[in-house]
Amino acid sequence: MKATPPARSLQFLRWFCREDYLDEIEGDLVEIFLRRHEQSPAKARRQFLWSVLKHFRPEFIKSIRLKPRYNSTAMIRNNFKTSFRKLARNRNYAFMNIAGLAAGIAVCLIIFIIIHFQTSFDNFHANKDRIYRVLTESHHAESGSVTYAKNVPFPMPGGLKAAFPQLEQVAPVYASHNDALQVIDDNGAQVKNFKEQNGVFYTSPSFFKMFNFPLLAGSYESLNDLNNVLLTKETAETYFGDWKSAMGKTIKIAGYYSMGAGLFQFPATALKVSGILATIPANTDFQLKLVVSYGTDFTGDKEYGFQQPGWNMSAPDFGCYVLLPPGISVDNFNQQLSAYARKVQPADNKDSYRIQPISAVHYDAAAGNYSNKTISHALINVLWLIAAFILLIACVNFINLSTAQAVNRAKEVGVRKVLGSNKSQLQIQFIIETLLIVTGAVILAAGITILALPSVNKLLELSVSFSTLSDPSIILFLLTAIVVVTVIAGFYPSVVLARFNPVNALKSKLTANTVKGISLRRGLVVFQFIIAQALIIGTLVIVQQMNYFMDRPLGFDKEAIVNVPYRPDSTGGTLTDYLKQQLLSKGVQAVSFSSNNPLEDDNNMFTTFRFDHAIKDADFQAITKFADNDYVPTYKLQLVAGRNLRPSGPTTEFLVNESFVKSLGLKKPEDILNKEVSIMGGLIKCPVVGVLKDFNDRSLRQDLAPLLIATNATMYRQASIKLPTANIVSTMQAVKKIWEKAFPNNVYEYRFLDDKIGSFYKQENQLSQLYKIFAAIAIFLSCLGLYGLASFMAVQRIKEVGIRKVLGASSANIVYLFSKEFIILIAIAFVIATPIAWYYMHQWLQDYAYRITISWWVFAAGGLTSIIIALATISFHAIKAAIANPVKSLRTE
Amino acid sequence: MINHSIGEFEELVLLMVAALHDEAYGVSIQENLVEKLSKNINISAVHVALKRMEDKGFIKSRFGGITEDRGGRRKKYYVITALGKRILDSQYEVRTKLYNMIPKISFGR
Repeated sequence: MKATPPARSLQFLRWFCREDYLDEIEGDLVEIFLRRHEQSPAKARRQFLWSVLKHFRPEFIKSIRLKPRYNSTAMIRNNFKTSFRKLARNRNYAFMNIAGLAAGIAVCLIIFIIIHFQTSFDNFHANKDRIYRVLTESHHAESGSVTYAKNVPFPMPGGLKAAFPQLEQVAPVYASHNDALQVIDDNGAQVKNFKEQNGVFYTSPSFFKMFNFPLLAGSYESLNDLNNVLLTKETAETYFGDWKSAMGKTIKIAGYYSMGAGLFQFPATALKVSGILATIPANTDFQLKLVVSYGTDFTGDKEYGFQQPGWNMSAPDFGCYVLLPPGISVDNFNQQLSAYARKVQPADNKDSYRIQPISAVHYDAAAGNYSNKTISHALINVLWLIAAFILLIACVNFINLSTAQAVNRAKEVGVRKVLGSNKSQLQIQFIIETLLIVTGAVILAAGITILALPSVNKLLELSVSFSTLSDPSIILFLLTAIVVVTVIAGFYPSVVLARFNPVNALKSKLTANTVKGISLRRGLVVFQFIIAQALIIGTLVIVQQMNYFMDRPLGFDKEAIVNVPYRPDSTGGTLTDYLKQQLLSKGVQAVSFSSNNPLEDDNNMFTTFRFDHAIKDADFQAITKFADNDYVPTYKLQLVAGRNLRPSGPTTEFLVNESFVKSLGLKKPEDILNKEVSIMGGLIKCPVVGVLKDFNDRSLRQDLAPLLIATNATMYRQASIKLPTANIVSTMQAVKKIWEKAFPNNVYEYRFLDDKIGSFYKQENQLSQLYKIFAAIAIFLSCLGLYGLASFMAVQRIKEVGIRKVLGASSANIVYLFSKEFIILIAIAFVIATPIAWYYMHQWLQDYAYRITISWWVFAAGGLTSIIIALATISFHAIKAAIANPVKSLRTE
Repeated sequence: MINHSIGEFEELVLLMVAALHDEAYGVSIQENLVEKLSKNINISAVHVALKRMEDKGFIKSRFGGITEDRGGRRKKYYVITALGKRILDSQYEVRTKLYNMIPKISFGR
């Protein structure tokens, strides 16, 4: 019997040992083994293994590189050259691929830019990790819920500074709205008027020690003195033409502030420009325009303004920011803060306080911020998901089109293989081809993005830009996109192409059947059409709901009513009477002065009240409006009981609506008449004199709310003017003249009521625009997929079509043959899309108190639209196949 | 880079290659060394020395025919090159010179 060396040791030796030494080493080892085996088999085996192991050393181990090296640069250059030729020859194919991918990548890029912008808010401050804002934490005893608000009691900033000396900075911040500003020249004469809806901030120099807003001229410390103002460069240029000449100039400010249910105003105050701030970046929630020293006008008033000592007093948009010293824990500070609050607050004030890092402010929709723009983390994730999804669909289309094209390239692959290409070389070539297409698509996508960004900014009210080309993250994103898309989109087709059998390929035996995965491709088309159809249906539902919002009767007259802001003076009714008389003499139909319109969105003032001498506040809040006796006739509100208000400067009577009566549990509207209602902590106590028929006092998202209307001349902020049906333009000019004469210090503005009501549904409008865009992109991409599939099938069935034609099929029959298959696919997609779309749109509509019911024709329209678009897409290939000469297709075998 | 250095074990292997002449391959070298030096030597050490000296150009190799008793593997025969011979000569010369320098005195015989 012949002895054999241990198999496993031998296998190991053969695995590691260099080929050119194997003969010698293995031969010698075996020879020694055989010789020793005669004496002692076990010892021989042991020694064999030992010798093998001793040979496991660098000299004898195979080199890591398994394959010989090629002249790769020349080959790659050749790959690029042939790829270019291929693409130039198949221009349609290249164009479709590039367009499809570019659309997908552009959507991704835009989403990336938006997310990049949204997540960069206030991240440029040097102390950003230590800046916190104080939130008021309210516990609601009845519901047990906790809410956070960004406004704090007036004594908070001063109190914190005194009680917590370890805080490096404490700054009060108040954001004022709708301020009227006048530019005053050196002689004290008024030059120009401006109005700032937002951007007027009252704060102290501490604010600028926390946040990095660089100064071009002047000093932050000037804010320590009252009546100083810092302007941003842009504001200074608007006001004075040139920021350099603005220093030391004077402007006058007249603003309102609201506390509780009341709106208050302060006499115009002169401010000296003591500094110019550099341009404020777009990615901050502090969109500063004017920064007034804290303590100026009402922020310094001890009796009615922000220096009131009561811990119950606050104003919306009055906040407090602190700079924590390093190394202090937030939880620890929060505990100290709560303990402090319990100490200083009256026993009935159960509010507590927490600090929130500045990095969380932009994501806090509940508490809000000074820019009124927030974005939730959930939305960011959804956006990422959409981006990934769209990119995936675009890649899938690419795969679809390329594999459909693969059959046409069988000869090329065959020749290359015969000439010695191996699989990996072929794959590299096709990947390079993909790389070229993807690079083209990325460049095109960048172009699309640059063109689309202004519209996106307008639609979403953002200020993102592509000037961030200098921004490395966008370049990085584009490079990553090229690599990722090339790998995802190029890998599968390259594998399919490279595995062709060269003999079959050269003998033209390769048919489309060889390229597998037709059912996969059908599945993808169905998938794409599910999305497209769902989006079409969603768009239709949203548009319908929008129309419903606009057309639904609101219970009051909104036609031809224009709102003009009005600034009350101390004379009470004299000014309104004068304006009313002036306006009526110009032919307007009716005029009413009021705090706001019958329908308001976020401008409603809710108040607690006591009814009929109750000992305790009623358990619901009511919207309070202050309006004169002409409010009811101007808006054509209807009374169901009692009478309208009597003309009066101060508050003497209340009107309520039916909801108010119902919410109190009274049976008949008449029951409430002459009962007393007390608001503002008993400051105003008056009887109810009339009940109004319910009208929509909130946006149609929400149900009706209980309502109180009372006269109070100091609370009026606007005139509502019912214009005559004819001569609207000349009447508006007359109104302008009257206003400019009566309010020389203010900018004249007006707004039509129906426009204003339309603007309440801005969010829905944005949503419907977005849906339209996404639906269009989804349809475009689906059609590309469909086109790919259709061209694939046309190639696959060319012989079948030829035989059918020879046997007498008409062109119409052939077109039908092609269309039938696709209609089935779309029908499947429709069956799946309908319930999904219904479910989501139904859920969406639940957010609205007033909503449409989704009717069947919406689905029918969605299905029909997609079928028509699909048929139009495939008709090119179907008709081409139908009119082709059967001789040509059957002759070549 | 030409390396003319030679280690002690390499020198022994080189001597054996020269001595065995046309019959020098791994196993024969190892067996003869074991016999002459009466010391256990692993074949891998011989292989390493042979490879290094071949790289240095002291020896050259050729493959023999396929034989049954080696699991079908060929023998690799080594012969000394002129360079290898010169190295051996110079080594020998150096040693002889040094040896002759030993004073002719008795070592306690």
